[in-house]
Amino acid sequence: MSEISSIQRVEFQDRVRTALNDVHLQRAMAKAKSGFVDKRLEAKNALPEFDQIRDAARDIKDHVLSNLDTYLELYEEKVIENGGHVHWARDAEEACSIIAEICKASGARTVTKGKSMVSEEMYLNPALEAVGMEVVETDLGEYIVQLAGETPSHIIAPAVHKTREQITDLFHEHHSPLGYTDRVTQREALVNEARSVLRERFVSADVGITGANFLVAETGANVIVTNEGNGDLTSSLPKVHIVTAGIEKVIPSLEDLSVLLRVLARSATGQEFSAYTSIYSGPRRPEDGEGPEAYHVVLLDNGRSSMLGSDYQSMLRCIRCGACLNHCPVYGAIGGHAYGWIYPGPMGSVLTPLLNGFDSAVDLPNACTLNGRCKEVCPVHIPLSDLLLKHRTEQHDRKLTSVTSRWILTAWAWLVRRPRFYQAVMAIPLWTMNRVSRGAGGLRWIPFGRGWTNTRDFPVPARKSFLRQWHSQEKGRE
Amino acid sequence: MSEARLEILSNIRKSLTAGEPKTSQRTSELRARLKGTAPQIQPRFAEDNLTRFCEKHVAVHGTYELIKSVDIEAAVIRYLQGLEIDPQIHLGAGPCLDQVGWSEGVFTYKKSADKNTRVAVSEAFAAVAETGTLVMCSGSDLLPSHNFLPDDHIVIADCERIVRYQEDVWPLLRVDDHFPQRAVNLITGPSKTGDIEQTIQYGAHGPRRLHVLIVKD
Repeated sequence: MSEISSIQRVEFQDRVRTALNDVHLQRAMAKAKSGFVDKRLEAKNALPEFDQIRDAARDIKDHVLSNLDTYLELYEEKVIENGGHVHWARDAEEACSIIAEICKASGARTVTKGKSMVSEEMYLNPALEAVGMEVVETDLGEYIVQLAGETPSHIIAPAVHKTREQITDLFHEHHSPLGYTDRVTQREALVNEARSVLRERFVSADVGITGANFLVAETGANVIVTNEGNGDLTSSLPKVHIVTAGIEKVIPSLEDLSVLLRVLARSATGQEFSAYTSIYSGPRRPEDGEGPEAYHVVLLDNGRSSMLGSDYQSMLRCIRCGACLNHCPVYGAIGGHAYGWIYPGPMGSVLTPLLNGFDSAVDLPNACTLNGRCKEVCPVHIPLSDLLLKHRTEQHDRKLTSVTSRWILTAWAWLVRRPRFYQAVMAIPLWTMNRVSRGAGGLRWIPFGRGWTNTRDFPVPARKSFLRQWHSQEKGRE
Repeated sequence: MSEARLEILSNIRKSLTAGEPKTSQRTSELRARLKGTAPQIQPRFAEDNLTRFCEKHVAVHGTYELIKSVDIEAAVIRYLQGLEIDPQIHLGAGPCLDQVGWSEGVFTYKKSADKNTRVAVSEAFAAVAETGTLVMCSGSDLLPSHNFLPDDHIVIADCERIVRYQEDVWPLLRVDDHFPQRAVNLITGPSKTGDIEQTIQYGAHGPRRLHVLIVKD
């Protein structure tokens, strides 16, 4: 095992342990648990064409990916035609310096941000703060995690891990100096207070930075989908609008957009359609009464172009709906922060090693039960559980797994190729376990198995293996 | 041309060698595809456009009134009286809205909304029956800030402009002189958030209430 991955392993296991023992987190996650799942199912059931639309959504994404260079060039051409600027960034650092330059050149001091996971991927906020910008997140969930000094724990519900009591404390601490001295505890009052505080920020910001759910090559537009309207205030009010997006976000035309929008909101929150879907093309025009004077798009590669043509290409179809997180029992138990990077859950476990390096997140693909629910609910049919399995194989081949586990796997492989011997060897633990348990059905302790038996009994298997039972039955019939 | 741009594009091409061949014919095929395609699979529904629009709009917490074009002003005043709000409105523009001769008691402003704006009255470019969505475009008298800053947003929708599907909006945008419009805002219900305990709360950053006056003469 390499040194890096051994440190990471300890860190990951520590994070998981902390998460499982975090009372607030467990309470918040328990509350969120079935909501997303039930609402998605309801929305899916209300649309008989859902599966056909999913197929079409996958086909659009596949078509774009296999022509990505051309579509990016066509998209760029349109943005320029609209009077906007396109910047290309090979990695996070390059993206941050481009954005910092734009902010500095426009004389900006304050920046508002609409929710953007790709900007989290860039570590944009600290980079902008380092050049003297004041950065304010405006999506309510992102704002809450920003006040807490954290990162989002869910790609569409950033503060899903926070309880109302924690939010109350955060608002009281940070809003009191602004004159909001009453301690508000009710949901409506909390939302109102944030609305009022952030309003000041919206109208006074110099630069607005948003993400993009899609980039439309036909019109050179970025599309953002929100329920709060924060993305629109961020796009429209400041004199500079900067869009950040991964290179895989481009789609051909508005008709393609319709297909993808029909699966996006349903998969994410179970809504038929989000409150605000906005299509922005370039800076204000001579006839416009308002709007940003400058419009920039920063396209981030950061490892994506290398995923094309690889076994993991289908991961680039991802539209960041979060359905795989919502349906993952591991995510539900440990929350997003335990995953260690900004993309959690099944999509994160596939993506993180690809974007940050295979040895950067060895544990993530293994922290999966392979129940396949993520693959089943993905609106663009990404075979997530298969990709996680592929990661495991790759780790084994690259010798990123521990010597012990590789040795055990090799021994196991040798054993199962010899069925008779396998049967004979396996009879030993079966016999022993049944003997020791004395018919109790469960064991409180097994050698090397404390990780299991600390929290539950180990079920005792049948006294005789299936094959032996089968053979004796067959004999009985004769 | 930046170095990063060349490197990213060449990386993509390298990775895609097994993909579709890059010929100038292929590029023009893709360019042609940008002009739009026939709609793909769409949800079927039996209701007529008006019924469906109203049903879906109400489902997302919107309110509406069906009126004649001569009654726009009266309907606006009545709605604001119901909320005990003074008739001071930020006014948009549109074929129906431009016909209204506002009486002296109503104060209208033709300017951007600000953080204290209570009410905006706009006219939708079109509306979509499928999802109960209003389509708002930017332009000289059409200010996107009206869609997002006021507490109350009143939107006039011409019944004739309610189309069945989202895809029916795109051809209407394409034939418009300003295509691609700088801002196209598809609005479905008032602003909301689920970020505190995953429970919906209305009036997050945008309008707390969305009232549609459907004009049918």
